[in-house]
Amino acid sequence: MLISRHIVQSRRDVLYSWLFLIPVFVILSITAFIPLGFGFGLSFFKYKLNLQRAPIFNGIGNYIEIFQDELFIDAVKHNIFFAVLAVSIEMSVGIVIATMLSDDSKITRLLISLLMIPMIIAPVAAGTLWRMMLDRTYGIVNYLLTLVGLPAVSWIGDYRIAIYTIIFVDCWQFIPFVAILVLSSIKAIPITLIDAARVDGASPLKVFTRIVLPITAPVIIIIAMIRFMDAFKVFDTIFVMTQGGPGTATEMLPTYIYRQGIKFLRIGYSSAAAVLFIISMSLIAWGFIHLRTKQLERIG
Amino acid sequence: MTKRLVKQQSRNYLCNFLGFPTRVIVLIFLFIIILFPFYWLITNAFKVEQEYFASPPVILPSRITTQNFVDAVVKYDLFKGLKNSLLIATGTSIVTVLAGSMAAYTLINGALPKKLKNVFAGWFLVQKMYPAVLVAVPVFYIIRSLHLMDNVLSLILMNTSFNLPLVILLMIGFYQELPYEIEEQSMLDGCSLLQRYIYISTPIVKLGLIATGMLTFINSWNEFLYAVILTVYRAKPLTVSIAGFITDKGLIWGPMAAMGCVVVFPVLIIMWLMQKDFISGMSAGALKG
Repeated sequence: MLISRHIVQSRRDVLYSWLFLIPVFVILSITAFIPLGFGFGLSFFKYKLNLQRAPIFNGIGNYIEIFQDELFIDAVKHNIFFAVLAVSIEMSVGIVIATMLSDDSKITRLLISLLMIPMIIAPVAAGTLWRMMLDRTYGIVNYLLTLVGLPAVSWIGDYRIAIYTIIFVDCWQFIPFVAILVLSSIKAIPITLIDAARVDGASPLKVFTRIVLPITAPVIIIIAMIRFMDAFKVFDTIFVMTQGGPGTATEMLPTYIYRQGIKFLRIGYSSAAAVLFIISMSLIAWGFIHLRTKQLERIG
Repeated sequence: MTKRLVKQQSRNYLCNFLGFPTRVIVLIFLFIIILFPFYWLITNAFKVEQEYFASPPVILPSRITTQNFVDAVVKYDLFKGLKNSLLIATGTSIVTVLAGSMAAYTLINGALPKKLKNVFAGWFLVQKMYPAVLVAVPVFYIIRSLHLMDNVLSLILMNTSFNLPLVILLMIGFYQELPYEIEEQSMLDGCSLLQRYIYISTPIVKLGLIATGMLTFINSWNEFLYAVILTVYRAKPLTVSIAGFITDKGLIWGPMAAMGCVVVFPVLIIMWLMQKDFISGMSAGALKG
């Protein structure tokens, strides 16, 4: 990815080059490498911070315990359900909205700048906003529902509905993200291709399925990958809206690690969960990269 | 007239396959669902207390009060949160842009073997992928042992780490666009790498630096996970204080809405200032990964 440049090597410049990289090395080591290695080590120990006891070597005991922990299994299930449903809704709706916004009129340009609002505000703020709107008794959404004769819904308090509420807020934040990125890749298509198809009498649907979709497919896959991996980082919204509840209905991997490690101070145990998390994330990333290389090969 | 028509047509990518009426309905719905929550937030921030609990909900407040903001300042330490948020976001932006631009410059123009540079660039890419929560527990433990808990510095450090990879990737793009002749000429004139970085190249990409700095500012302003883990009282930023309004007994509506406004609006202003840069920066950040 770097353009190779002919460089006149002088010893002074080599020294400066290394000096220039040192701050980044130091910061990334302190905040990423050392903690990662440290966490990996801790995952083999029984260690609770609130007990005045030295860590006890536990082998793979923590890992065995995790797989027997129903809460962990539930968190994984919820997280996968959340990721698959949220990302598929975001991708399909986002792509449709991108096709609707791809002309060049003033109104659509205004809409595009408005679209950026939900995705740049803090997820905490988005969660708070919707927490107010969806309040069971005083929320405006329930009021509108009763206005048209529907029963009021306990959006956050009902364990069957809470996860869909989280999915909804996630969609509200990230459908714009998908739409804007897909839109910018649609606008990178040579317009002559589309004009030629239109002259030949292709319907908008044909233009979309035969030209736009195949050309933007690689970008769409990348966006899906980013969103899918981000869906496993969801923390802020859950923390503000449901705290993983009611019961454990919206407990997901990040909140699980947070609860075990920071709340219950089970340092070793939650490190083991984090290690499992890294492994599965790497597998997912590898799968997506595989998919993408395959596709690049097909295009040639 | 015809010329304008042609120009307009030539940029029309519209491939809406659901028909005109659906498009209008969807776009109007989109408009409402994006903007209404913000309208609700602002009006709630200025409503008097009994109007929160009125049924039907008050869409247009009849009385406007600033009591909620006063409460947020007096009872809930709005200014302390604001100060912390500003310190964290500004500190992070400065450190990240400085360290990031130095690294990016070296990766483009530095006197290192090309293979080594590619290894570093690849490393920064991988760094961008992993979720922050993975190191949450070890970082919590380390910061606690170093007695840096509840300190703005530890949050600046963590936020810098999360934003560095993206900033480096964006800055590599900026430095790459500079014509190499400039570098070559100043090298012939005997400038060292340091002098070229400070006096020649960086002033040209200044706007890019500002844009990435603002992106970093927004990211660290919005950050929540580490803010909630690493702060207790003194260093609490706004995002953590706002989450504190949601209690088991219910919401503390007025001050929560007021503080929500303070969290949201600086970001909107920054976005408005740098709209174009933002889209291109974001798509570059997303798609280069």
